[in-house]
Amino acid sequence: MQKAVASQTSLVKSRPARFTLTAAARRRYILFVLLVAPAFALRLLTAAYPVFQTIALSLTNLDLIKNTNDFVGLDNFTSMANDFGVRGSLEFTLLFVFGSTFLAVGIGMLIALLLNAAFFGRTFARTINLIPWVIPTIVAGYAFRWLLDDQFGLLPNWIFDTLGIRPAIFISPFSARLAAILVSSWKDAPFFAIVFLAGLQGVPLELYDAATVDGANGWQRFWHITFRLLLPLTVTMVMFRLVWALAGFDLVYGLTQGGPGVTTTVLALQVFRQGILFFKFGFASAISVVLLLLVSIIGGVGLWLFRRTDVTY
Amino acid sequence: MVTTQRRIKFNGNTVILYMCFIVFTVVVLLPVYWMTRSAFASANELNHVPLIYLPTFTLKNFETLVTQVPFADYVRNSLVFALATTFATLVVSYLAAYAFARISFPGSNILMWILILSMALPEVGTIVPLYRLLKDLHLLDTIAGLTLVFSSVLAPFTVWVLVSFIKQVPYEIEEAAILDGASLPRIFWHILLPVTLPGVVTMGLINFINAWNNLLYPLAFSVTPASKTLSVAITEIFAGYSPYGKPWELIMTVGVVMTIPMIFLVLFSQRAIVRGLTGGALK
Repeated sequence: MQKAVASQTSLVKSRPARFTLTAAARRRYILFVLLVAPAFALRLLTAAYPVFQTIALSLTNLDLIKNTNDFVGLDNFTSMANDFGVRGSLEFTLLFVFGSTFLAVGIGMLIALLLNAAFFGRTFARTINLIPWVIPTIVAGYAFRWLLDDQFGLLPNWIFDTLGIRPAIFISPFSARLAAILVSSWKDAPFFAIVFLAGLQGVPLELYDAATVDGANGWQRFWHITFRLLLPLTVTMVMFRLVWALAGFDLVYGLTQGGPGVTTTVLALQVFRQGILFFKFGFASAISVVLLLLVSIIGGVGLWLFRRTDVTY
Repeated sequence: MVTTQRRIKFNGNTVILYMCFIVFTVVVLLPVYWMTRSAFASANELNHVPLIYLPTFTLKNFETLVTQVPFADYVRNSLVFALATTFATLVVSYLAAYAFARISFPGSNILMWILILSMALPEVGTIVPLYRLLKDLHLLDTIAGLTLVFSSVLAPFTVWVLVSFIKQVPYEIEEAAILDGASLPRIFWHILLPVTLPGVVTMGLINFINAWNNLLYPLAFSVTPASKTLSVAITEIFAGYSPYGKPWELIMTVGVVMTIPMIFLVLFSQRAIVRGLTGGALK
């Protein structure tokens, strides 16, 4: 059966029929368009068109509660710059996104090294590694909120039993912010571990042998071989993570609800609150535009870095 | 075996290795333990110091949920939303992936990258226009509306992974079928789909989990139990109060209902999921 197919196709391939028949070429174009049409229609309707509408809305004061809808130019952006809440959330967003990405990708690489090592229980470790990834972010937020509850949470009680102090994690801005960054890293590090583990398995072992012969120690082998070969992948993952983290608010929604005050409110949560809860469509769209700009800048820098760090084996 | 010995040496002290393993296991499982323990316990055992690590087992919280909130509706909505989104995403993405993998002309690659890179778009950034769009289409507060917007979000990544799966299939197989006079639907269904089934299953699982876990869209667009999912339910229960403060036993019970099925799904399909998660980034 297989052989018959192979001989048939070699007959076909021997003449360049596909490129001379324009009718066939046209049919291929039409087929292409028909096949990609549903996907592009979906993206145009629910992604491209809304982006342009967001930009247009950001120049209006459309507000369903106040019932206003006028062109106001850049007023939303100036009031954003003066809005204590929005300015604070921009600051925390950057801290949160960069801090948790650094930790999630870094810890993810350490987990990958662990999961790549040979030890009793490795299969078990690789399996449970997927648990933080699969837990809904909102559930992870609430689970940690309860785990860190100052009265009946596990960790504050352990700390109380050993140190005699009972930390109220979600009362102080510093510890609430730290908790948000750490829990976000807990949630996402395993995903990067999976990706890095696949990357590690592709590193040729001969390189390590050669390095050992040349007298390289463990750290040097990691730094000059493992890390160097994983660098393009790391840059890609950092870029992905920054963009994802900018878009997400599930975690702080569950863990801190943006508080205390607005100290852990991310921009994405501001958009949701202003737009969906307060129906300030114009103002929410202006915050969205800032979010879109941040994503474009980070994405652009990421693409540029990616092209510079491409390492060939 | 050779690699085994090499790796142990590379990672240095075995004691450190096992310490890392233990720390890793504890850190990963601690919140899961805490959630499960709280879901099957009564409120007065949870709100108790010193802490009770293994409270008396009870299903009372599940009973409370079923009797006091439209819990069956939430479960059904979560399932229907996740399944419909998975199905719609796969159909739309598979067709496009086939076109990108098999038909190339100047510019077709650029079109593919435009589609794939559109996944960088922050979903919350377009929430206001989408709200208006769904309102205009009379799709607010419907599973159909949620499915429409979320399949669109999942399609780019799905296309990306499926293109690499389809490209691995030798074109000769299809070519032979075309010569035999098979129609395109026949080729899709009887030839290509069976060979690329691992990719379809992988992306099906990942998309199902993503939709099941999605909070943003149901939270923004669902108003009544007609379309509210479990992820919205848990936020609403958190917003409520019990005599002890927050009803943590109920919040954790919804958490368990949302999480435990997904953990089992992952345990049985670990390979398929890892293949999908690494498929796009490494090829």
